[in-house]
Formats: sequence, C-alpha cells, structure tokens
Amino acid sequence: MAKPNPFLALSTAAMALPAFAAPQPVETIVAIKATTYQEEDVPQRDVLAGSDERYKIDIAQFRLLTPVGEKWSLGVDVAYETMSGASPWGTIMGADGEASLIMSGATIRDKRTEVSLTATHHGESRSISVDLASSDEDDYEARAVSISGEWEMNNKLSTLSLGMSYSSDDIEPTDALRFGRVQREEKISRSLSAGWAQVLNKNSVVHVGLDVTDHDGYLSDPYKLRDVRPDEKLEWALSLKYRRYFDNQNAALHLDYRYYNDDWGINSHTFHTGWHQNFGDNVRVVPNVRYYSQNEADFYRGTDDFGLATTINQSSDFRLSGYGAYTLGVKLIYSALQWDVSLSIDRYISDKSYGHDASDQSHPALLSFNMTSFGLNFRF
Amino acid sequence: MKVKLVTSLCVVCLLSLAACETVQPWERGTLAKPEMQLSEGLDSPLYHQVYDSKEASSGGSGAAGAGCGCN
Repeated sequence: MAKPNPFLALSTAAMALPAFAAPQPVETIVAIKATTYQEEDVPQRDVLAGSDERYKIDIAQFRLLTPVGEKWSLGVDVAYETMSGASPWGTIMGADGEASLIMSGATIRDKRTEVSLTATHHGESRSISVDLASSDEDDYEARAVSISGEWEMNNKLSTLSLGMSYSSDDIEPTDALRFGRVQREEKISRSLSAGWAQVLNKNSVVHVGLDVTDHDGYLSDPYKLRDVRPDEKLEWALSLKYRRYFDNQNAALHLDYRYYNDDWGINSHTFHTGWHQNFGDNVRVVPNVRYYSQNEADFYRGTDDFGLATTINQSSDFRLSGYGAYTLGVKLIYSALQWDVSLSIDRYISDKSYGHDASDQSHPALLSFNMTSFGLNFRF
Repeated sequence: MKVKLVTSLCVVCLLSLAACETVQPWERGTLAKPEMQLSEGLDSPLYHQVYDSKEASSGGSGAAGAGCGCN
C-alpha cells in the first residue's frame, strides 16, 4: 500500500526545472537508474507471529527531458518497482512486558508503476509547468495534477517559485473480505508551495522553501489489525538549502535543513550535509550524512489497545513513534562530455535513543536498511 | 514555535538579500556546475520516496516522491 502522496504531481514538475533558474534546456537528457533497497530483518525475539523478513524493493527509473521548439520543453518520468517481504500488522505487549510484533507472512508481492508528463513553457525570465502524474499498484491508485512557475528577477540573481497540486488516491486492500479490512477508500491531497532562491555571490546560493499540504479522507493503514487515524491532516514544512563552492578544494558543500510540523502532533528536524569533492575534471566523490528526528503522534500507542472503541484514534505504527535516524552514504560519479555514470551506497539506521523527543518505549519495528544505486545519464 | 520559525525564515531571507553581491552572467560558471545544483537528476525522487514512506514527514523540498508499497 502506498503512503499518502501529497506532492506527486508538483514534485515532478519542480524536478523537471533547472535548480534555480528558468531557461529552456539546450540539450536532451536521458537518465536511467537502478536501485536495490533492502531492509534488515526484525530480530526473531521481537516477532510473536508471522515472518521476520522485511521489505526488499527493486526500483528502475527513467527520465527524458528535451527541448521542443524555441519555448517549450517536455519531461517524461517513469518509475517501476517490485517489492516483496513482510510488514508489521500490529504491536502487542509480550509476556516479558516488552512490545512484540505481529507480522504479515513473507508472501507480500506487489509492483508499482509511476508515470508523469511535464510540459513547460519558457519565457524571457519565467517558466510555467503543467504536470500530470499517475501511480498504480495492485491495491493503490493515485492521480495528480499540478501547475508551477518560476520567475527570475533582480538581474537573474533571485528566483521565485510557486506551485500547487491536487492528488486523488484510491485504495482497495487485498484480501479485504478475508481479513475484515475496508474494501475501498479514498483520499484527497492539496498542496501549495513557495520558494525563493538567491545567488549570494559567484560561489554560493541559498534556497528557502515552504510547503503546506492538506489531506482529507482515509488516512489509516488498512493492513494493520487496529489502526484508527483522523481523516484529516494539515502539514507544513520549511526548508533551507545552502550551496557553497570552494575554489581551493575544487569541492562544493551542501547544507540542507527541514522543519516539519503537522496537526497530528508530529514535529521533525532533518539535517543533510554532503561534500562534493572533485578529482580532476571527471571524477566526483560525495560522502554525505543525514540526521532525522521526530516526536510521536498524539494518538500513537506503543502497543495496540483492542479494548478501545474503533472510533477512538490509535496507531502503533513505528513511523508515528518518537525516534531518530542516521543515514551515511557515499556517491561516486564519473563524468564524460556527453554522459556520466554514478554509483551510490547508503546505510540507514534508526533508534529511539537518536531522537530529540523519543517515545517511552523503543518500537521493535524501527528500521535499518541498505540501498545501492547505479545510474547513467546521457546528453545530446 | 511557528512564529519563531517564520521569523527566522524572514531573517534568513533579509540576510541573504543583504549579503548578496552582483554576479555578472560571465561569473556564473561555478553556479552552473552539477555539484552546485539544489537537486540532482533522479536522486531527488528516489530519496524522497524512500524517506517519505518510512518516516512521518514529507515535503519541504518541492521534490517529494511518490508512495511506495513499503509498509
């Protein structure tokens, strides 16, 4: 099942645009990337029933971005995923007083296909994009539309970006009758975003962004034994990005921060920094670190309470608990005149003790995963 | 908390405007380098999709990814 997807359309439109300017692309770009995502198994001692084997996902991505005529560009993005493994159905109090998991069987198989088309009109100092996107799984379907624009000003040292999107998602859980799940539910998401990019000098740029998203509809997880969430959520996120190039080191520093807040009571902080070290004209090595921390949702419970009425909100989803996480990664890039190739490796670990406002008890389903990607880009 | 953040945002904007220099078009070669971009290629949709589906937060970059089948 897919997670709520507020920015499906908006994001693709934004990504089709240059980072902080709005000119028409001068060349066609074709990009492909293959990724393997593998979660570590849950410790057997924490599993009361079901499989301890968690998700493995293989992801294939494709992008085409090409100029059309003198004032237009067209972008096509396709992603195809195959996934297998088990997921937590519930959390109950074990005989030892510790939380234990009820997992699904290891037979979950699903695939997801996402397609988006972006058309952009480029003016003298602005661009306007329209994006249509769809995402399909066996049990989940999302359709989204967005419009976004960028305006250069201040002698092209500043760029204002604005966007809005609308997404309609339908879920039809598998084995609904067999397990007493909802048979069909819907969700609507609407989002607004605004950003300001500012060139500070010839070696540095900063970007400030603000997103607000409203979700309305079925927001619970139908696969869990007891998961009752509000049918509305309002969330917003503030982001800061800074890029600085060091001539002496032939390297660039990336500093990113995001503050997130929603009316389910969750606040989070995300820091991400990377050092882009060039070696000669062709090789770049990018070690990077990401830190994430969130507090728990107002209705989060460490273990499911089946004595509560089903009208009372509760969830034992580990993603709604209070915890923190680190990602350590490195990316290698070799660039030639008309193509480049990249390899990246990431290691993600999460723990209650890493969080700034952690839950009382550590959730046994907190994740660790490894991710490896191989990418190719062509320009012509 | 929100007021403080919005205030901080305004302060950052004002400081960035105050701190910026005039950069002529022929001086912008460094800013056009791949390593100076705010997001790069297919990395953004990939990472945002993974993190958005495994953590409670999303957004903030204009480049969050689509949902995945990862419960």
